[in-house]
Amino acid sequence: MENLQLLLDGFSVLFTLQNIGVTILGAVLGLIVGAMPGIGSLAGVALLLPLTFKFNPTTAIIMLGALYYSNMYGGAFSAILLNIPGDSPAVMTALDGYPMATQRKRPGQALLTSNMASFIGGTIGMIILTFMGPALADIGLKFGPAEMTALLLVAMTSIGWLVGENPTKGLLLTMFGILLASMGMDTLSGSPRYDFGSIYLLGGIPFTPFVIGVVGFAQVIKLMEERNKKTQVSIEKLTIKGSMITLHDFKRLFFPAVRSGFMGTFVGVLPGAGATTAAFMGYAAQKSFKNEEPLGTGAIEGIAACEAANNGAAAGAFAPLLALGIPGSGTGAVLLGGLMMWGLNPGPLLFTNSPDFAWGLIASLFLANIVTLMIAWGVIPFLIKILSVPTKLMIPIITVVCVVGSYSTSNSMYGVLIMFLSGVLGYVLTKCEYQTAPVLLAFVLAPLLESNMRKAFIISQGSLDIFFQKPISLVFIIILIAIMVFPVVRPLLIRLGLMKRKAS
Amino acid sequence: MKKLALIVLVLMVALVAPLFAQGGAEAASAGFAPSKDIEWVVTSSPGGGSDIYTRMISDIMTRLDVVAGQTFLVTNKTDGGGEVGRLQVSRVNAGNLANHTLLTFNSGDLMPMVKNTANRLENFTPIAIMAVDKQLLYIGEYSDYKNFDEVLDAVAAGKQVVIAGSKGDDIATYEKMIGELGVNQNQIAFITNDSTSAAITSILGGHVDLVMSKPAAADQYVVAGKLTPILALSKARFSGNLADAPTLSEVGDYDDVEVPVWRGVVGPKNMTAEAAAFWSDAFQAVSESDAWKNEYINKYKLVPEFRNHVEAQTYMAEFEADYLKTLGK
Repeated sequence: MENLQLLLDGFSVLFTLQNIGVTILGAVLGLIVGAMPGIGSLAGVALLLPLTFKFNPTTAIIMLGALYYSNMYGGAFSAILLNIPGDSPAVMTALDGYPMATQRKRPGQALLTSNMASFIGGTIGMIILTFMGPALADIGLKFGPAEMTALLLVAMTSIGWLVGENPTKGLLLTMFGILLASMGMDTLSGSPRYDFGSIYLLGGIPFTPFVIGVVGFAQVIKLMEERNKKTQVSIEKLTIKGSMITLHDFKRLFFPAVRSGFMGTFVGVLPGAGATTAAFMGYAAQKSFKNEEPLGTGAIEGIAACEAANNGAAAGAFAPLLALGIPGSGTGAVLLGGLMMWGLNPGPLLFTNSPDFAWGLIASLFLANIVTLMIAWGVIPFLIKILSVPTKLMIPIITVVCVVGSYSTSNSMYGVLIMFLSGVLGYVLTKCEYQTAPVLLAFVLAPLLESNMRKAFIISQGSLDIFFQKPISLVFIIILIAIMVFPVVRPLLIRLGLMKRKAS
Repeated sequence: MKKLALIVLVLMVALVAPLFAQGGAEAASAGFAPSKDIEWVVTSSPGGGSDIYTRMISDIMTRLDVVAGQTFLVTNKTDGGGEVGRLQVSRVNAGNLANHTLLTFNSGDLMPMVKNTANRLENFTPIAIMAVDKQLLYIGEYSDYKNFDEVLDAVAAGKQVVIAGSKGDDIATYEKMIGELGVNQNQIAFITNDSTSAAITSILGGHVDLVMSKPAAADQYVVAGKLTPILALSKARFSGNLADAPTLSEVGDYDDVEVPVWRGVVGPKNMTAEAAAFWSDAFQAVSESDAWKNEYINKYKLVPEFRNHVEAQTYMAEFEADYLKTLGK
């Protein structure tokens, strides 16, 4: 149990007044930054990075790590209360969180569920990181282009769960999402696609403003329709006591959280896949398990699944970052840059050369987890007061936050313009009873799928064999075929008496 | 209601007031010296190589006190893959603003700019080149080949070899190399990644045969024994733990291949010659400082190579002309 000993050493590094102070500071900032739509961990970390030059490296990275991690907690707040995800991993949380808050009138419970699930998922991620960090990172390395393609194809099937009753619409929306994602410069060939001669479109459609627009601003437009409606939640429930979850609720959230925590950690380790992909996959996987209420109507299981997955992924992302020096995401890249500036070299030698630092950081994640949980709990009564703010005041406030968030992604009005346009698009889609989730999922997954698939074909010189020859890839292809074939085979199995007919 | 109105009014004043607080004093320049905040544009995201380079130089310049106490405002403009930022800088109007605007400009910026847009070097005022980087080819732990001779033998025998690299400058080096070796893109294939770290990830997992990288990104893996350099894409061997990698001319009857990756700084076209000379001297002071050598060059293993604004103009123009020729423009 050498790692445990090292972890305890890490705690001793951590427990200085300064380090604990910055952990709390980072956690609080992360919550705030995470809750604001559009301003995610990348912006937060990038903004704070110069401030940390004056600290010693261990203190600095502890603060940034806490911020990055607690960002995953905060994203759920605006998702649940306003149906506007604070960052992209929270998109799926809004699908169940917002109905639970408004239709089922249990906002406090929704927030508490998301906090608890985040805590469970994150703890699982950190425990795995502690004991298996470098080994996990090596497993992540085994996922090359072919394996990632197979995995992503399985992930794409999860769109099938999200399309609701009309598969044609779902297919259409998925194709549309892929089309939007393909605009811009193609990395593999270096040539521009669908840029229509505009220099802005050379960079494609930026992800964050697009998500804020489709989900957030569309919600604002919808609110404008309802601006004179009375607020939906009565004031009596807005206390901590009124937000406590029952034991039964806790049991409902526990297993989805644990499952998704494992899944999320693993997805976080993979190259290129991050918290957003993890949240999508956690939510989709939850569909195939027992849920007391159907997903999408405010089920606790839904919230638990996504939140645990995205926190697990945040913890998991540290494995390749620390053990191999490979950033899994934009935020990871900023952290990596910061580490190098402080003279530390993440990579195979980090754990040997600077064990204090590495284990101090991992220990700080545990602390940040607990601190964030407590703070998040404490602010629930304040947060749900937001729900009692009259709609017509919320509209301009949310609009401003969305605009600021979209601007901050690239310091230009291009992001804001995209956000407005996507907002109109999202609104139109929702009004015509098209789901927006397939568009978003396709938008996130398609570029990853395309680049990995094309790389796999370059390696295999155009042959399909590579997907069947590599063992990991083969496993996922088999899962894929099983998923695709199952709906067709199911009636047959029922008729043969091998499966019970599901009571509808 | 009144209370609300009062709060809103105070907030509005607080938000608007800072807009009036800035105001550059327009100083008549007899011999240029910065007289207001300097805006330095970086066309990539925070934390990346260019961003670190920019912030490091601005930090050293402030410490060396060569900018008359003015502040650097480093702005990341990443729209359009950086093209929007470059276009905006090139078009800054003549006057004080043009003399106080800088743009981080590398060979990896010039190539896509020239390839995909109508923007050209003539729309900028080159100020300096600070460092030069070159690439090497490395094998990983799972590679089938132990040195570059074996790679060439395998290609001659009809086997495909795959190199992973990053977009931008690596591609140009790859194309020059296969041109020199006389093989086509199927015999030695190149997989473009968004960043060198993604390319290194793929070789660490054994998914490709070789990786092309500049020394800095691969260094820690070489020290850890996970990557071994087998070919130096430059006119002379590298030093330190890269000294064992031969150049192309040592491997066989080929010319050495190198496509130097330069890191430089430019200003808008309308920057005055005086200002350009001032900035050039300021960058020279940085390049000669110990802080630069210790905190950047040695850490990131670049080759320091300073060129002032006159030399940089010639160098960059030649680079652009060569590249345009390869594009057939």
